[in-house]
Amino acid sequence: MTVNTWIVVAGDPAIGDLIDTARSLGGEVTAAVVGPRPVADTVAAGGVDKVIWFGEPGDAPVEAYATAVADAIAAAPGVVLGSGGPGGRVLLGAAAARLQAPALTGASSVSLDGADVVVKRSVFGGIAEETVAVSGPVVLVLDGGSVPAATGSAPVEEIASVPLGMTVVQTKPSEFEEVDLGAAVRVVGIGRGLKTKKDLALIDGLAGASDAEVACSRPLAEGMDWLGKDRYIGVSGQNISPELYFAIGISGQLQHMVGVRGAKTIVAINSDPNAPVFTEADYGLVGDLYQIVPALTDALK
Amino acid sequence: MKIVVAYKWAPNPQDATVGAAGAVDWSRAKPAISEYDPVAVELARELADATGGEVIGLTAGAKGVDATMARKAALSRRFDRAVIVADDSLQGAGSTELAAVLAAAVRHIGDVDLVITGDSSVDVGGKMVPTVLAGQLGWPAVAEVSAVTGGAGSVRVERAIAGGTQVLEISGPAVLAASTDAAVPRLPGMKDILAATKKPVQTLTVAELGVPATGSTVTVKGTSRPDLKARKGQMIDAKDPAAAAAELVAALRGTGAL
Ligand SMILES: Cc1cc2nc3c(=O)[nH]c(=O)nc-3n(C[C@H](O)[C@H](O)[C@H](O)COP(=O)(O)OP(=O)(O)OC[C@H]3O[C@@H](n4cnc5c(N)ncnc54)[C@H](O)[C@@H]3O)c2cc1C
Repeated sequence: MTVNTWIVVAGDPAIGDLIDTARSLGGEVTAAVVGPRPVADTVAAGGVDKVIWFGEPGDAPVEAYATAVADAIAAAPGVVLGSGGPGGRVLLGAAAARLQAPALTGASSVSLDGADVVVKRSVFGGIAEETVAVSGPVVLVLDGGSVPAATGSAPVEEIASVPLGMTVVQTKPSEFEEVDLGAAVRVVGIGRGLKTKKDLALIDGLAGASDAEVACSRPLAEGMDWLGKDRYIGVSGQNISPELYFAIGISGQLQHMVGVRGAKTIVAINSDPNAPVFTEADYGLVGDLYQIVPALTDALK
Repeated sequence: MKIVVAYKWAPNPQDATVGAAGAVDWSRAKPAISEYDPVAVELARELADATGGEVIGLTAGAKGVDATMARKAALSRRFDRAVIVADDSLQGAGSTELAAVLAAAVRHIGDVDLVITGDSSVDVGGKMVPTVLAGQLGWPAVAEVSAVTGGAGSVRVERAIAGGTQVLEISGPAVLAASTDAAVPRLPGMKDILAATKKPVQTLTVAELGVPATGSTVTVKGTSRPDLKARKGQMIDAKDPAAAAAELVAALRGTGAL
């Protein structure tokens, strides 16, 4: 058995992993590309069989093509893959609605059993893994991977489409520098145990002394706005697998810790001896971060 | 303006346990209004108050979503009224099924200008219900919305994108998923809890709504505990921070982590 797959591209051609998954299912691979023409061309060169492109978006956001994408997919339903950014989720949601198909997140493996698609995925914030068999169309929200190397040249078919009534009227860059935590060998994570933004200097000091990147729990990036959104770790943020992770002033809620499960060594520093973070640490220090972090920075020098 | 806030009555998996055979035990995890939903309520309330509108709480799930506790917890939030689809057929329903029911309820309520949801639910956390809901309605959807202004038929929203923010103008009804920091929710006070019992509630069943049939069958083959790395769990006495730091650094250097 093979099944045909759709790859939904929401403006970003970083879909290398999606192409691999689609190829493993054996059937024809069609990409539905929303975004400027060069995105469609990159995808067409990346190893798919066919590209359907919805035209130059102008000032329409990716989301404006949700109905157009769903219509195209509904004409030839199959397995629908896409990455889980905010725009991607809107396109995938529209496809799931049109097909009345399940939209499954957190998949670690996708395979076929006869005509059924078998998906192993992480559920309930990562406390369990579930294996499901889906008969009929299915939408899978996955990590896109990197931009595929140019290996082929699939035909690009332009479909005339009327975007939904939404336009981009302004784009503002973030005040924070972008970071790729995935590449960091060591990471210092800081949470709400930090009292003020200026105390980040303490954390920067430790990061400097241990040659690490600074990361954080979600509230520091969303709510406090002390660090950029690409620095928070967890189920809704980054998943990292560094050699060493320091969880400092972080309680260690499940939603944070799933993001560092792959870390080789975890050090927890927390004033509360009962903080859940200690149950997932290799080394635990109970105490005030304002005393321990400077001592640690000194010891590293 | 008529604004619907879709909320969830859900337990926190932090309090659930997974047995050796992989079964998830929720018995110690008490359901509550899902963590980020009060942000959506607050965002909706601010917009409704600015435009002279109404905020309707909407939820769908198994019978428990209409229990006294659940009703009270929801209605003590800043809703004007609630519509509750309580139906045991929704036990364990997936995002697409729930979104189909919510969409049917939004149609049933009628003349809705905006549906606002939280960022993600505490139990499932897939972030897909708002976008599938928009797909079911054929409405535009935007996720990670940090601000909304405007009125019925035309709103301006600010949302996060990689490396910054964007302002969008949307005409017609829409579904917005609020970012976790879009508004600071108020904790209900005694007055709100007392007022909760007086707010109108309409309960509906799935059969009353006319929900489209699912296009696929999902069969759960099994659940298991994730295969986690074993951690050393070694505690270092930190009464003397300098000594503790030296001990930690030595240990980390010993294993090659530093
Ligand atoms: C659906 C959903 C998704 C979520 N996704 C994420 C996610 O992706 N990432 C994420 O991080 N969170 C996420 N969360 C939030 C998560 O549940 C926690 O609320 C959050 O991680 C807590 O952040 P924290 O540990 O910094 O803060 P807190 O839980 O408030 O912990 C602060 C800790 O600092 C300690 N402390 C205080 N003072 C000191 C001191 N002087 N020295 C040392 N220690 C001190 C305290 O003992 C405490 O343990 C999500 C939640 C939900 C519901």
